[in-house]
Amino acid sequence: MENALGIWGPQATLMAITASFTILGLVMLTLAMFMGRRWKPSYTFEIGFIAVMIGLVFYADWSSVNTYTAYQQDLNSEERKVAGNYAGEGEAAFDRVITVIAFQWGFGFINENEEMARNAAVVAPGEKVLFKIVSNDVIHGFNIPVAQITAEIDPDEKREMWIRAPDEPGKYLIQCVNYCGVGHSQMKAWLVVQDAAGDQMQETGENSNVNA
Amino acid sequence: MSTPEVSAMRAGNKAHWKPENLVGSISLKDLLFSNDYRHIALKGILTSLIMLAVGGSFAMIFRSELMVPDVQMLGAKVYMTLMTLHGMIMVFGFLIPMVVSICYYLMPRVLGTERLYWAGAAQWSYWLLIVAAVLLIVGRPDFTWTAYAPMSFRTGNPLIWMGHLAIFLVAVSEFLAGAVLVRNAFSGKGSWSNKPLIAWAAGTVGLLFMASTFPLAFIGLGLLGDGLEITAFFDPSRGGSVKFFLYVFWTYGHPAVYLPFVPAIAIIYTLMPRFLGYPMWSYWSGVVAFILLAIGAMPIGPHHFQPLYTISGPYERFVQFLTLLVFIPSVLHVFNWISTLFMKPIPASARRAIPFKFMILSIAFIVYGGATAFLNAQIAPDSDFIHNTYWIPAHFHAMFFGFVGQMAIAGFYYLYPYFTGRMFNQTLGNVHFWLWQIGLFTQITGMFVAGYLYFPRWVYDYLDIPGWATSQMFISMGGFLVGLGFIVFVANLAWSARYGKPAADDPWPVEHDGKTAPAAAPAE
Repeated sequence: MENALGIWGPQATLMAITASFTILGLVMLTLAMFMGRRWKPSYTFEIGFIAVMIGLVFYADWSSVNTYTAYQQDLNSEERKVAGNYAGEGEAAFDRVITVIAFQWGFGFINENEEMARNAAVVAPGEKVLFKIVSNDVIHGFNIPVAQITAEIDPDEKREMWIRAPDEPGKYLIQCVNYCGVGHSQMKAWLVVQDAAGDQMQETGENSNVNA
Repeated sequence: MSTPEVSAMRAGNKAHWKPENLVGSISLKDLLFSNDYRHIALKGILTSLIMLAVGGSFAMIFRSELMVPDVQMLGAKVYMTLMTLHGMIMVFGFLIPMVVSICYYLMPRVLGTERLYWAGAAQWSYWLLIVAAVLLIVGRPDFTWTAYAPMSFRTGNPLIWMGHLAIFLVAVSEFLAGAVLVRNAFSGKGSWSNKPLIAWAAGTVGLLFMASTFPLAFIGLGLLGDGLEITAFFDPSRGGSVKFFLYVFWTYGHPAVYLPFVPAIAIIYTLMPRFLGYPMWSYWSGVVAFILLAIGAMPIGPHHFQPLYTISGPYERFVQFLTLLVFIPSVLHVFNWISTLFMKPIPASARRAIPFKFMILSIAFIVYGGATAFLNAQIAPDSDFIHNTYWIPAHFHAMFFGFVGQMAIAGFYYLYPYFTGRMFNQTLGNVHFWLWQIGLFTQITGMFVAGYLYFPRWVYDYLDIPGWATSQMFISMGGFLVGLGFIVFVANLAWSARYGKPAADDPWPVEHDGKTAPAAAPAE
């Protein structure tokens, strides 16, 4: 399934680079301890190594900025700066727009018909969903593992985030990831994916996990 | 070693000084108030180990809670208080004071001054930290070590002001410690190009201490004032700004991780040539890395709240880029250590030595935890599974415990004969070593896995989602092994102080193939 940031490709490359560093470092350390042959690396070798690292810094910066800019394209950067005003052309790009109120401790979801549900956001499979998030008390987090995206919301500001809903009907975890007071552990909600016919979702719970 | 004096001086491997029974001969009054550097260092180290025991036992309690899903025995309030105190006591009470105290002891020795300049400031630094620790334990804050406004003054705990005041006192205490480090970096004979690397470390990190504690002091006082409704810096309901809090806090918060990190690196640069019997591969590479690390530390704080941005503009990109670059000085250090190990055969005496073993494995952990920094720095993956999941505790437990904590313990084992006049028990030392390596690796790997599965930080109660309970079980098991290792460690210290083998004139001679290498400089 297509995830929100769509970063599986570049992210996999960067994770492979990270893993290679780790393995390279550990192998060199082991060799330094146990290899019979001794070796004094030249200073040029270090400079070359650092040059490679600097190249990787440029690559990582470029990759991250590309990915994130692509993700943000549909979001209303200008509208967002106006307090309380979410109306913008960018919303046309989404199948569904949900306003989220994060509070101590829970999430309220308001749909386009101004109906509010506590701790459950109902969407259709495969929909492109825009979440417009506000907090009226402290800093909260908003993380949907299945969509592979996290945002934090500070009470001074509004925040937009979008996801591509899973194709498989079921309920998926939404959780706060920033410590927001003693009820933080209970601050979770469900992304309820049900098909367009509006059939009652089967309560088997087989999809109620982050990896479905 | 064509010019042994210069190399020895630079490398900090001046052969040795004589073991003495400091612990057995010290009076209580000297231990508490003496300005002798050995007494100040001993007091700091012993206090840090007590803090490690307290912070560690808190972890044992909440690790038992987290082994299985749902609520077992701890309520949310108790859990969060234990978690907050675990973090604060470990960082401000164990890591920073322990490595700084070891530097207080090593610097006068290695620099040859035989005294700690501005010892009075070190004394004040110590006692202010004790007051802060008492305030924390009495006030029982539950706002985690980051104390995010406005949550941290809306807790409903009437004693919460004690937590805010403690933050201010920690800032003053760390400022004084930084001043002492800088002053002593300037002491001793010789120009800067001829100073041991511990002086470069102390000079750069000391400046970082002094600069970064101003924002922390402001955070402490600001939270105190906001909580008592005297000020409104950070309270949005009264016109304050949460963003302002974040920028000020993380201007301290990022350098804060280097405050224990750099002294731990300095301990490596002191111990490694000592155990190997030859100088470091590159002196100037170390110097450059210390300077770069100090320069890079302060502007990159905002990477700690990257997913809070609504827009990733040029400033955020600058922070991301600088964060990626700050990886380089640490790579320079690790490169230097591994190259040094490669240069000549590693003496059999070093392979046997418990402090040397801890040092090598702490380098392994800096590689294991540090490589992920490359990933964490980037806004895109950070907005996926990294930010505030268990991935972050995995990263900083590898760095703070796997590296800094283990280097603190390596330094302590190294200094043990100089404090007690006796050697610790080798077998118990080995048992401690292996329990910690296995425990730490299990714990940290479990945390990485949990983080990759989006397990959120700061929860005492969680759902039975595939992978979550298993990784938590692994983390707890690893944690218990570390706890067991600590008990072995304490038993070893206590037993050996009395019954250990008396230390030789040089407790750490460099021996290879049955031959003792000549000391690099004469013993005093």
